[in-house]
Amino acid sequence: MNAVVELVNDCPLVDKVDLAQLYAESDIEATFTEIDRELIGLIPVKTRIREIAALLLIERARRLMGIEAQAPSLHMCFTGNPGTGKTTVARRMAQILHRLGYVRRDHVVNVTRDDLVGQYIGHTAPKTKDVIKKAMGGVLFIDEAYYLYRPENERDYGQEAIEILLQVMEDNRDDLVVILAGYRERMDVFFRSNPGMASRIAHHIDFPDYSADELHRIAELMAAAMHYRFDAEARAALREYIGLRMTQPRFANARSIRNALDRARLRQAKRLFENRAAPIDRRALETIAAADITASRVFQYKNQQQSTEDDNAKAGADGR
Amino acid sequence: MRLTQGQFSFLPDLTDDEIRLQCDYALQQGWSLAVEFTDDPHPRNTYWDMWGTPMFDLRDAAGALYEVNECRKAHADKYIKVLAFDRNRGFESIRMFFIVNRPKEEPGFDLVRSEGPGRTVHYTLRPYAAEQPAGERYR
Amino acid sequence: MNKPVVTKITDAKRRFQSGVLQYKQMGYWDPDYEPKPTDVLAVFRITPQDGVDPEEAAAAVAGESSTATWTVVWTDRLTDYPNYQAKAYRLDPVPGTPGQYFAYIAYDLDLFEEGSIANLTASIIGNVFGFKPLKALRLEDMRLPVAYLKTFQGPPTGIVVERERLNCYGRPLLGATMKPKLGLSGRNYGRVVTEALTGGLDFTKDDENINSQPFMHWRDRFLYCMEGVNKAAARTGEIKGHYLNVTAATMEDMYERAEFAKQLGSVIVMVDLVIGYTAIQSISKWARRNDMILHLHRAGHSTYTRQKNHGVSFRVIAKWMRMAGVDHIHAGTVVGKLEGDPNVIRGIYDTCRETHVPQNLEHGIFFDQSWASLKKTMPVASGGIHAGQMHQLITYLGEDVVLQFGGGTIGHPMGIRAGATANRVALEAIIKARNEGKDIWREGPQVLANAAKTCTPLRAALDTWKNVTFDYASTDSVDFVPTPVAAV
Repeated sequence: MNAVVELVNDCPLVDKVDLAQLYAESDIEATFTEIDRELIGLIPVKTRIREIAALLLIERARRLMGIEAQAPSLHMCFTGNPGTGKTTVARRMAQILHRLGYVRRDHVVNVTRDDLVGQYIGHTAPKTKDVIKKAMGGVLFIDEAYYLYRPENERDYGQEAIEILLQVMEDNRDDLVVILAGYRERMDVFFRSNPGMASRIAHHIDFPDYSADELHRIAELMAAAMHYRFDAEARAALREYIGLRMTQPRFANARSIRNALDRARLRQAKRLFENRAAPIDRRALETIAAADITASRVFQYKNQQQSTEDDNAKAGADGR
Repeated sequence: MRLTQGQFSFLPDLTDDEIRLQCDYALQQGWSLAVEFTDDPHPRNTYWDMWGTPMFDLRDAAGALYEVNECRKAHADKYIKVLAFDRNRGFESIRMFFIVNRPKEEPGFDLVRSEGPGRTVHYTLRPYAAEQPAGERYR
Repeated sequence: MNKPVVTKITDAKRRFQSGVLQYKQMGYWDPDYEPKPTDVLAVFRITPQDGVDPEEAAAAVAGESSTATWTVVWTDRLTDYPNYQAKAYRLDPVPGTPGQYFAYIAYDLDLFEEGSIANLTASIIGNVFGFKPLKALRLEDMRLPVAYLKTFQGPPTGIVVERERLNCYGRPLLGATMKPKLGLSGRNYGRVVTEALTGGLDFTKDDENINSQPFMHWRDRFLYCMEGVNKAAARTGEIKGHYLNVTAATMEDMYERAEFAKQLGSVIVMVDLVIGYTAIQSISKWARRNDMILHLHRAGHSTYTRQKNHGVSFRVIAKWMRMAGVDHIHAGTVVGKLEGDPNVIRGIYDTCRETHVPQNLEHGIFFDQSWASLKKTMPVASGGIHAGQMHQLITYLGEDVVLQFGGGTIGHPMGIRAGATANRVALEAIIKARNEGKDIWREGPQVLANAAKTCTPLRAALDTWKNVTFDYASTDSVDFVPTPVAAV
């Protein structure tokens, strides 16, 4: 059980505040360091987190001096493609909120629509309330929250869950912070149809896709963590792979890199096993070769695309 | 009359903050919390009505307090209690129990004596409130 | 000149030649013996007479508490004697006390009848304590194997079910012994009961020597007490009880009294230790058959438990009583008027109410003792305690205990009901503060003073008794204290 933090609004009023001391006491610098370590790139996100943290620190100071009486709304919305670090940041955000005295504990309960919505009448309310009770004292993270809203099916119970969430987000601000997450466009549609929800969200953070360079660095880090390395040709192949994969459908950023790495390991194992007659050394076991990467379908797709383009070019040239 | 069942009935009624602290203690020990209510305060009435199932997996007392207040809204005129349950071997039973809501008027109990052989008397407690049917007892 | 080393004689012809052999030669001292998990183990504190070899003394204790006699007998050869003889397998000097030793002895399970405390005690302590070669002898602790424990009924109710029956959780139970101890008539007695229970106590108690005397016949007591109990229940809405003492001259009389208590609807009866182990087991079986909580007063125990060098340690009595089957047992208060060193008391309380008690020499527990699924006995703290000590009592004794404030209730300046209320408010306030995370050992007095602001009876109790303490050196204590280890 985490130590319970005395909430900001339970502290006695003062007439002078030392911000540096407040900041040091909260130890959120350590959280920022961890975020830097865990997440490659994401500069706009990291900047945003620091801004929010500064805001919360100042709000805390204002409340300690009695300037501000009303608890601020802390609910947030994280938008972006899958694999861009939303869940990781949610966990770190819970820690920051806890250390600044906005929530009593720093646990995160991570749910999707199915955890909140029931299959038959009367099933939804207790299900949603159960989830909320478990999250109380910390953060409730709802992934792909827009699935709660299905206007095309009038027998859908998602609306009930939304109503309950709205009420709790308003009445129990001291007890719970809600973070919604999902694709940007779909979130926008969701908020347009649910203005009540939109009005309760205080902070929006957008998680841009990683750049090719960042993805490469992520791949290197992941491989190193699993005690693998790339040789020079493999590195080049990796670069090409990433460039191609980014353009293809259902790209999930860091998650896709992770999957690609797993498949490369599989191919390496197959390659080494097929050549098992010859003895192998440590280096061979550790190294992922270019062949392990280029065997990916991603390259075939590229070739297909390439030959389609060539055909089109030829067709064009022939004037047909 | 004041029903003095429970751990803290001789003290002034607990505030919400005090209830929260007691629930936190239970959670620290790894016990689960439950809310029950009744309008039959007879001491042998073991099974009060359950306000939802016991709350396993709570991380913070706020969830329990939420249910207490929901129960108060629905049953403001009844006795409401909070229980903490310990599932560990050697106990597997209730470890805490305190009353968090009372009806405005508590008429108490009638002691009914029925004389037996010799000087023997058989005793029964009858809550005055039980003269009304369930649901209409405390108004 | 070296004394010849005396060892077990293994040649059968020599072993059984008529004459006198040392116990060691007969095999009662066996340092290589590995106790079986089914052996009953005992540790004795032996003080051999001057000039007596300690190993021989230990062997003698083993012998005289099992198969031996002072001379060789040929009939031994009709038995599987190595199996039946007890083996002293270990001897340790007592730290800081020259001339005293801890002797560990193992007994085969077949030496004992199933489910009989009378037999267990007759075997272990029946013969050996008057033995001349020992200056003094004390039974310190025993290890009962699970196989043996399972032949006993154990407490008829147990702490968990008792709480469920009383609907009382999360705090110690409160009781009071009737005062004056002797002389009240039945009707007057019942008045004290109803006042104390109405004020806020859970139980009131007959004293150990209240049985059926000319000033109050037992039937009158029972009738008036139950009137008092039920009146208090109606006034409070709680389940109340009075320990009706059913101790009598014969078992038949005891059954008659117990049946009457049941007929009148009492939740609990009590007996005194002096009725004997056989009677205790009988009444325990009756209690289980009749859904009755059984309280045991340990009358007379101090005659043999109090001195450190001779007798039987109370922790052994507590073990026997848990096996025989009692739900309550008086076990010491630490801060009250009766004898009790905190570490020793802690060991005894653990023996009563834990499901597994690991070896802990600092608390006087010599063996790991698993209690299988025998129910737990609720220790009772009674004797010279008052509301002002509530924080100390909770700290030392925990939550699963009955706290009895006889004088502390009935001697209250504002009356019995006020005395009971003072104790109940003090208890609830300390428990509430402890749950909130306060350090009740240090802040206890402040918590009590705060509670006293809204409770005049508590204020009066604190003022009347604030200077009462019983600070005497304990006659019994542990031998093992943790030595501080130098930081490297």
